[in-house]
Amino acid sequence: MAWETVVGLEVHLQLLTRSKMFCGCSAAYGDPPNRNVCPVCLGLPGALPTPNAHAVRLAVRAALALGCAVHPRSVFARKNYFYPDLPKGYQISQFEEPLATGGALDIVSPERGAVRVGITRLHIEEDAGKSFHDRVPGMTAVDFNRSGVPLIEIVSEPDLRSPAEARAYLTALKQVMRYVEVSDCNMEEGSLRVDANLSVHRPGTPFGTRTEVKNMNSFSGVERALTFEQGRQIAAIEAGGTIEQRTMTFHAPTGEVRPMRSKEQSHDYRYFPEPDLPPLVLLPSWVDEIRAELPELPEDKRQRFVRTWRISSTEAAVVTASAAVADHFEAFVKAVGAEQGKDVWNWEANDVLTHSPDGESIPASLSPARMAELFALVKDGTVSRQASRKVLAEMLAHEGSPAAIAARLGVVQERDEGQLAAWVTDALAAHPAEVARYRAGETKLMGFLVGQVMKRSGGKADPKAAGAALGKALAG
Amino acid sequence: MGVAKGADGAGGGEAARVTRQDIRRIAELAELAVDEATARELEGQLSRILDYVAQLQELPRDGAPEPDEPAVRLRRDEVRPDPLLVPPDAFAPALRQGLFLVPRLAELAGGASDE
Amino acid sequence: MTDARAAARAAAGRISDAERRGTAAFLAWSEGALLEQAEALVRSGATGDLAGEVVAVKDVIADRQFPTTCGSRILEGYHSPFEATVVRRLREAGALIAGKTNCDEFAMGSSTEHSAYGPSRNPVDPTRVPGGSSGGSAAAVASGAVDMALGTETGGSVRQPAAFCGIVGIKPTYGRVSRYGLVAFGSSLDQVAPFGKDVRSAARLLAAISGRDDLDATTLDRVPLSADALAGPDAAPRSLRGSVIGVPREYFPDGLAPGVRAACETAVATLRGLGAEIRDVSLPHSRYAIPTYYIVAPAEASSNLARYDGVRYGPRLADHPADVRELYRVTRGRGFGPEVRRRILLGTYVLSAGYYDAYYRQAQRARALIRRDFADAFASGVDALFTPTTPTTAFKFGEHLADPIAMYLSDVFVCTANLAGVPALSLPIGRSEGLPVGGQLIGAMEAEATIIRIALALEAATDARAEVR
Repeated sequence: MAWETVVGLEVHLQLLTRSKMFCGCSAAYGDPPNRNVCPVCLGLPGALPTPNAHAVRLAVRAALALGCAVHPRSVFARKNYFYPDLPKGYQISQFEEPLATGGALDIVSPERGAVRVGITRLHIEEDAGKSFHDRVPGMTAVDFNRSGVPLIEIVSEPDLRSPAEARAYLTALKQVMRYVEVSDCNMEEGSLRVDANLSVHRPGTPFGTRTEVKNMNSFSGVERALTFEQGRQIAAIEAGGTIEQRTMTFHAPTGEVRPMRSKEQSHDYRYFPEPDLPPLVLLPSWVDEIRAELPELPEDKRQRFVRTWRISSTEAAVVTASAAVADHFEAFVKAVGAEQGKDVWNWEANDVLTHSPDGESIPASLSPARMAELFALVKDGTVSRQASRKVLAEMLAHEGSPAAIAARLGVVQERDEGQLAAWVTDALAAHPAEVARYRAGETKLMGFLVGQVMKRSGGKADPKAAGAALGKALAG
Repeated sequence: MGVAKGADGAGGGEAARVTRQDIRRIAELAELAVDEATARELEGQLSRILDYVAQLQELPRDGAPEPDEPAVRLRRDEVRPDPLLVPPDAFAPALRQGLFLVPRLAELAGGASDE
Repeated sequence: MTDARAAARAAAGRISDAERRGTAAFLAWSEGALLEQAEALVRSGATGDLAGEVVAVKDVIADRQFPTTCGSRILEGYHSPFEATVVRRLREAGALIAGKTNCDEFAMGSSTEHSAYGPSRNPVDPTRVPGGSSGGSAAAVASGAVDMALGTETGGSVRQPAAFCGIVGIKPTYGRVSRYGLVAFGSSLDQVAPFGKDVRSAARLLAAISGRDDLDATTLDRVPLSADALAGPDAAPRSLRGSVIGVPREYFPDGLAPGVRAACETAVATLRGLGAEIRDVSLPHSRYAIPTYYIVAPAEASSNLARYDGVRYGPRLADHPADVRELYRVTRGRGFGPEVRRRILLGTYVLSAGYYDAYYRQAQRARALIRRDFADAFASGVDALFTPTTPTTAFKFGEHLADPIAMYLSDVFVCTANLAGVPALSLPIGRSEGLPVGGQLIGAMEAEATIIRIALALEAATDARAEVR
C-alpha cells in the first residue's frame, strides 16, 4: 500500500542590493522601524516606481545559475490584494511574462540519489512590509522598512518526492545563490522564505489535491512541517476522507500543520500589466556579460575537484561548502602539490574548517600560504601532526612564520642524528630485559622503546625517526 | 461616432446581468462596504454599463497591432530616497513605537506569529 | 519681470472676487501664501520662465502648502509629505502657486458635480457646469482670477472644461509631463495638462512643466519643450499654407448640437482662409473609444485607489472597527462618493477572474486599433486633425446626474487622444446662445509644437466671443 508524496517549493529570496526595488530607500535589514521609507514604498498618493538596475542584474544572474532561459522581454504586473503591510493594495510582481523560465537544480536525495529538480519560473517582485500581530494588544503593528525590498521568486516543478528532498533542495539552492552572491539566503533574517505545496497519491494514479504550507522558518522546520502534512494527508485518505485544497500554517512549537483561519481560500489577484512601468528589455550583450561573470558553480567545482585533486565526491562536497572555503582549499593544495590532495583535504576538513566561524569563511590568518608552510613542516618531520594543531591555534592570533611559532612553542622535533643516537643508546641500555624480549620476537615492544626515547628527549624526538634509529640499533 | 448608440447597448451577445452575488463578490475584493439599497442600484447601473462596453466584442480577438513601447529605464542602485518632508508621525493616523497601528486582523484570532 | 508682490496682491483680489461671486473654483487658497511666495521670489532674485505668474493647481496634484484632497472625503485634511515634480518645476520657474482647485472626486467626472466639496460654477453661466473633472481650474482661469492653471487629463478632463468655459486647454503627449505627485486615476492615460486664458499662456505653462523625470519611468526621454519655440513672439504663423488639416467624419455625427456644428464649420473655413488644405479623413475605430475608456480607466483606477484604506494617512472613517478589514470597508465605503464607488466596482469586475480576457484584454486590443487609426491618418500626410471638442455646450447642473452613461458620452470626442497618447488642444472658436464652443486640434505623437502653431494662427483669426450663425 505505497504512497508517493509530491512536493513543489516556492522560494522568495531578498536580493543583495543597497536600495529597494522601486525606490532609492535603503534596503538594509535591522534599522529602527519606518526609518527607511519614502512616498513610493509607503504607497503615498502620487508616488511612482522606478526599477533598480542591480536588482535586475542579480535576478538574471540567479536565473542563469539555475540554467533558466532568460527572456529578453518581460513585463511587470500588479498583484492586487488588501493587507496592512501591502501599502499600495497591490504588489508589483511579474505574471504572464516573467523574467525567466525553464531551469533546473541538481540535488542529492537521501532516498533516490542524484535528482534533477525542474525550475518552472523565476521572476522579480517587491517585498511587503512586516506585520507584528502581538506587539500591541488587539492591534497589528506594521514596519514598512521591508516594503519594496527586491525579491526573486523561484518556483520549482513538483519534482520533489519527500520532505527530506525538500530540505536537500533548499540546501542546494542556498548554496548556489550564495556562490553567485545574489542573496544571503538567511531564513532567520527573512532573506529566504519558503512556501510548500504537498500532495500524496498512489503511484500510477494522477497527482492528488495539494495543500499549501506556510510559516516554516528554518530548513528543519520545512522538513518537520512536510513530514506532518504528508502524514496527515495519508491518514485522512486512508480513513476514507478527501483532501481539501487549503492554505495551511506550520506551528513550530507543536510541529503541527493547521488550516489557516482565513475565509478567502482562493484569492482573485486580478493581475494586469503594470501601467507605470514599460516592459523590461534586456540586451543579449548584457545577459552575456552577466553569464561571463558567473563564478564556477558548486556542482561544477565539486566535479573538477574530484578529477584534479584526487578526492572523492563526498570529500569534495565538504570543501566546496562555500566559494571561500573552496578557494582556500584550492590555493592550499596548489601550493603543496596535487599528489597530496587527500592529505590536504584532511587538513582542510578537520583542522582548518574547525576554526571557521560559520562553515563558510576562513580566517585570514590561516591563509593558504601559511597553511602550506605548516603542512611542509609536518611532512619533513620538523613538527609532529599532533603538535601542528597547537601551532595552528596559535597562528590564528599571531603573525610570524609557522616555523617560528613552532619554535616558540617548543614543539620543534629534534632531528639531529647524533642526539637521537644518544637517546637510543640510553634507552636500550636502561631496558636490557625488553631489548632481549624484542630480539626474541616480541616486536610490539617497539612501541614501548619508542616511548622511552620520547621520554628521554622530552617529547622532542620525531617518533618515526626514533623508531627507525631503534630498529637499526637493535638489528645491529 | 456612437453618440446616438449610447445606452442601448451593443448588438450581438447576451445582456450582461450583474447579480447581487456579483456585487457582493466585487465589493469584498475591493474592500468596500455597500449597503443593500446601493447594491440594488449598482446591479442595474453596472449591468447597463457592461452592456454598453460589450460592443468591443465586435472587434476581432487577434491581429491587434503591437504597441511600440520603449524599454523601461533602470535606476542605479544607490541609497538616494526622495525624502519625506515630514516624518510618518506627522501624517499617520495611528503610530506607536514607530510602527503604524491598525486593528488586528480577525482571521488571526488564536495566535499568529509575526510576518 | 512683473513685480511679484503686486502680482500676488492683485491675484488675491481677483480670486477673492471670483469666489465671492460663487465660482467655487478653489478648495484652498490664501493671500498670505501668495505674498509669502512673492517675497521669497523677490529675495532670491530668480528669473524663471514663469517668474511672477500666478498659477492655480488642481487638487489631485500634491503640493507642500495646501491639503491635497482630490475632491474626496477620504483625503480630507491630508497634507502631502512630498511635492509633485510639476509643482517643483513651477516653483523653479518662479511661478506663484495660488492654491488648489476643485475637481470631480479623484478626477472621475465631467462636471465637478462629483466633488465631495460641492461643484464649481461656469463663470460664463453659473447655472451650468464648468466641465470636469478639472472644472475648478477651468473656472479659475475663465473667471479671470488667474491666467494659468494646471489640470489633469485622463479622458478629456482639461479639454472638455476648456471648451465649456471658453479658454484654452492642452493635453500633452503621454509621457511628456511627469506624473510623480499626480494622484493616479488611470495610470496609462493620466497627464498633467495646462489651462491658459489664451494659447500662448497654456503653451508657456506646458513648456515649464514638461520634460523627463527620473522619478517617473513613463516620461519620454526627449529634449523638453521650449517656451520660446512654442510661444515666443515669432511662434504664431501668419499663414497656414502648406499645412494639411484632416477633418475626421466620425467626429461630426448627426447628434452634434447645431451651434457646435456651425462654430466648427466657421473654424474650418477660417483655417482654409489661412491657407491650410482641408482633407476629409476617417478614424474608423472612434466609436469604440468610450467603451474602451470605460474599461481601461476604471480597471486601473480600481487598483490605484486600493491604497486608500485609512492605514497610513488620511482620516479613519470607521467608528470602532472590530478588525482591520472593517476599517477598510467602512473608511472606503464612507470616504468614496457614488461615482468613484461605481468605477472601482466596475474596474474590479472587468479585471476579475473569468472576465479579464473579454473586457480588459479586449479593451487593450481596441485601444491599439484606435492608436493605429491616428498613426495612419498622420502617416497619410495630415499635420493635425480638427474636430469639435464636445458634442454640446456646457450643460446645466443635474442634467446628467441620473444616467452615468449620458455623462460619459460628453467625453466622446476627447477621450480618443488619451487612449492613443497623442497631444490635443482645445481653444474657443465662438459662442452658441452665449455659451462657449471649443474646437479641438489633435496632433501626431510628440507634435505639440505643430498643434500649438496652428492654434495660434486660428486664435488670432477668430473672435472667440462671436455668436455663431
